[in-house]
Amino acid sequence: MPGELLAIRDATKYFGGLEAVSGVTLQVADGEVLGLIGPNGAGKSTLFNLITGVYAPDRGEVRFKNRKISGCKPHQVVAAGIARTFQNIRLFANMTALENVMIGRHVRTRSELAEALLRTPGFKQEEKAIQDYARSVLDLVGLLKAGNDLVKNLAYGDQRRIEIARALATEPSLLLLDEPTAGMNPTESAEVMGLMGVIKRKGIAIIVIEHQMDVVMNISDRVAVLDYGKKICEGSPFEVQKDPKVIEAYLGA
Amino acid sequence: MKLPISKPYLMSGVLLLLLVWPFLWGGDNAYALYIACLIGIYTILCLGLNITIGYTGLLDLGFMAFYAIGAYTAAILSIHGVSFWLTLPVCVLVGGGVRYLLGLPVLKLRGDYLAIVTLAFGEIVRLVANNTVGLTNGPKGLPRVGEKISEIRLFGWSLNDTIHFYYLILAFVLLAVLVSHRLEHSRLGRAFVAIREDELAAELSGIHVARVKSVAFVISGMFGALAGAIYAHWIGFVSPEMFTFWESVFLVAMIVVGGMGNIGGVVLGVILLVGVPEILRSTLGAKFVDYRMLVFGVVMVAVIIFRPQGLIPSKRRSLELHTPEAE
Repeated sequence: MPGELLAIRDATKYFGGLEAVSGVTLQVADGEVLGLIGPNGAGKSTLFNLITGVYAPDRGEVRFKNRKISGCKPHQVVAAGIARTFQNIRLFANMTALENVMIGRHVRTRSELAEALLRTPGFKQEEKAIQDYARSVLDLVGLLKAGNDLVKNLAYGDQRRIEIARALATEPSLLLLDEPTAGMNPTESAEVMGLMGVIKRKGIAIIVIEHQMDVVMNISDRVAVLDYGKKICEGSPFEVQKDPKVIEAYLGA
Repeated sequence: MKLPISKPYLMSGVLLLLLVWPFLWGGDNAYALYIACLIGIYTILCLGLNITIGYTGLLDLGFMAFYAIGAYTAAILSIHGVSFWLTLPVCVLVGGGVRYLLGLPVLKLRGDYLAIVTLAFGEIVRLVANNTVGLTNGPKGLPRVGEKISEIRLFGWSLNDTIHFYYLILAFVLLAVLVSHRLEHSRLGRAFVAIREDELAAELSGIHVARVKSVAFVISGMFGALAGAIYAHWIGFVSPEMFTFWESVFLVAMIVVGGMGNIGGVVLGVILLVGVPEILRSTLGAKFVDYRMLVFGVVMVAVIIFRPQGLIPSKRRSLELHTPEAE
């Protein structure tokens, strides 16, 4: 596949006797937006966990930029260029919004204990660069003015965007969004969709798990459908909507 | 909380007060100096423990083990005539090294489990000190009869008075505060706090959690060993009963009451919990001395009920928010 960024081959994960993800094969091209849908418990989040190294697949492999990443630690996967958000917001609640985003820079910076204690010129320079970068990302998601607020005091929709900003600060080439519009009203959803457009125009590929069909159909180049851990359908948003297997999975016909 | 004066002035004032402190007590200052030194030692210990508990969120209930390791290493080396200035870095390295080895299996555990295992390690160290008579002289402590922990010599002077130790300890307290402060506002320090807040999210934001935790753990062990080494030279005696589980709990209490993750809070916690019982001892009068631990307990319960985040809660620093282009 030309410009192939991520290739999942036959990925399988068991939880005890349950096959949570079962022989899933899936590709993502450079800069592509892939919508990942399916009923609750279909294995979408588990697939994210397989890609990001939270779990190692029991069978199959995940390759990213032609390198095998399954079996790597999550922080190594981030370093390789994959960042994610979580279904239930997972921010550093007692840190400021700006600091949360600065954490995303950790993987792209290197100052260690000695530099921190001696406050070397290199340390100060890097610290400034971390802050500058974090500010620019915060500005991108439209939350620069909230930078010094503790994230636990921010509104729900803003917290979602801080999470996206933290992921973007790691300079990913692939961003995994796990239900970014969950619990949002239509206005907030539209804002997140707009943000996803901005991210896409930066050339960052996205896999998005989403339940709001209008969001998925609008933003995705391609859609893949999971049901009971298996990929049952893949194609353009239009094709997927018409597929009888998808309709059956959702309506339980 | 808004301070009536700016922070640099406040800091200079506190420093000045600390420097002239021994002279505020006229001739009869031995007891006041003793308390001040004790507070200093505990401050170094608690700032060390604060790195694991306060910043990184790793509950350690056996921190006295590293104080003991520092104190015993110092005592043993010093009895054999090794200079304090060589003993000190050796103690710090031994403390850090043991802490690293302990961390390898233990840091895979979280929360309550980590607390239990560190508690057990604290007891192991105390029991080893109690039972390896050949090395530690067991419950009778070091130095043995006829031996002596050698004096600290500095530029040809011997440090043999409490006032000398007051300034020595003060210097190391200031160093501990400086290290804590610089650590807190660094890439590494932010990673500590991120791990405390959400370990999985930290790992998935690119932090090598296992490594960063290990660094936090080792630095705190070094603080503990440093405090122990100074203490052994100051008091001139070490025995296993100084390093009980109760003492480790006491350290955690100082940090919790003062304010986890806040340097000023930790210092305040130490002053209150080390200083206040001593002041109560000298002011309550003979009849009430037995009740001082009761008073103390009530104060602690009150703090936890009315101010669970500690007297001076941890606070995040505000940073400049203007992007260069935006201006």
